[in-house]
Amino acid sequence: MTTVAVGFDYSEDSRAAADWAAAYARERDCALVLVHAMGILEQASFEDARASLAAAGADLAARSGLADARVHAHVDYGDACSVMLRCIEAPISASLLVVGTRGHHAHAGLLLGSTSLELAEHALVPVVIVPGQR
Amino acid sequence: MLVLGGPGSHESHEEEGHPERPERVSAVLAGIGDLDLGSEVVRVAPREATRAELTRVHDGSYLDELGAFCYAGGGDIDEDTYATFDSWSVARHTAGAGLAVIDELSRAGDGVGFVLTRPPGHHALAGRAMGFCLLNNAAVAAAHLVARGERVAIVDFDVHHGNGTQSIFWNEPRVLYVSSHQMPLFPGSGTPGEVGGPDALGATLNLPLPAGATGDVIQRAYEELAAPSLEAFGATWVLVSAGYDAHRSDPLADLKLTSGDFAGLSRFIASHAGPGRLAFFLEGGYNLQALRASAAATLGTVLGANVALEERSSGGPGAETIERARRARDRALEEAHELGGRA
Repeated sequence: MTTVAVGFDYSEDSRAAADWAAAYARERDCALVLVHAMGILEQASFEDARASLAAAGADLAARSGLADARVHAHVDYGDACSVMLRCIEAPISASLLVVGTRGHHAHAGLLLGSTSLELAEHALVPVVIVPGQR
Repeated sequence: MLVLGGPGSHESHEEEGHPERPERVSAVLAGIGDLDLGSEVVRVAPREATRAELTRVHDGSYLDELGAFCYAGGGDIDEDTYATFDSWSVARHTAGAGLAVIDELSRAGDGVGFVLTRPPGHHALAGRAMGFCLLNNAAVAAAHLVARGERVAIVDFDVHHGNGTQSIFWNEPRVLYVSSHQMPLFPGSGTPGEVGGPDALGATLNLPLPAGATGDVIQRAYEELAAPSLEAFGATWVLVSAGYDAHRSDPLADLKLTSGDFAGLSRFIASHAGPGRLAFFLEGGYNLQALRASAAATLGTVLGANVALEERSSGGPGAETIERARRARDRALEEAHELGGRA
């Protein structure tokens, strides 16, 4: 089964990306992996972060009509771009990466190489960049 | 003799509540003061690294963007990393402090360097800031030395893997990168299977350790795995990414080292460097008392000064990871050589 990985940092843009990815996964019969990158200063423990992400995944499944079993949560240490790129490799082996246009640090991203643009440059699989509401 | 680079004007690179803060430098200065080195300390003023020196390791477009971002007032670059209006200048002086220390050690042919500036550098990639780091200070210094024909070993005992340094020198056979770090932990890289690019196979050595690992395990990892690589490489200079966040009191990680363990590690590293060819660069370390004691332990040990040390730690987990790391590294090198042979 094809796997779609979507970056999720709880920002509005990442929620829009997750909704788009869920709709795509439902239409194409894909598995969906919700991915959260943990930085140095993340307050939650790894287990708490995973539980929060699993809850967000369950919400997304309910909202999108995607079967629960098709939605997975994946927390990894690192910056968003590196974590998404690692999702291309086993065991996730994503064949499509989805991210929002801007995360929580949009103003810096415009200048300092946004995650979405960097992913598009380095990913060996297609990348979809979903615009949030403006 | 201690060649001390910095601290210079770093205070305006600060964000309220952030653990990477100016008081860290004061803590290390206090630790150096505890050693009572007197006239053995030679202070070197930081200078601004030039664009040519920085572009040996950083993309010119990134430097332009970082400068513009700072001059626009700065802000948060990502969840961990910030910059202020002054950060562009501070960061260039931080990188330049390392160069000034290298040049003074070269001139003197003796002594040990300590680059006491901030922000730290080992997470900074060629084209991106991350993990509190804007410019990769140790990498800029290593590239400066390589340009002079030197062979450089960078030993990184910060609790986080120095992904930026590894990435910058991934395919550079004249730089050996050795890192011990907690894993899993930010930035998620640093497995033993990461051994370097096709032109530099074996020139990257990662020693990941589990949470709770103590000094006996990390010391063994260095003696059993790093020593052969260091001896085979034959570095003419040794640079150390000296992060003290592997200390048991550090708030950002879970290794259990003491200042006594940092003394042991520093003695090991210094044994692989010639006179006047060893420089430490401050990376992490966020408990000020631990930072003071651990930096003093490093410098007191390598300079032969009296220093009060915490008892060395032992009994933590991770002994089995040393053998596992050795096997994973050997396997990765074999596979890489096979691939190379087929190409």
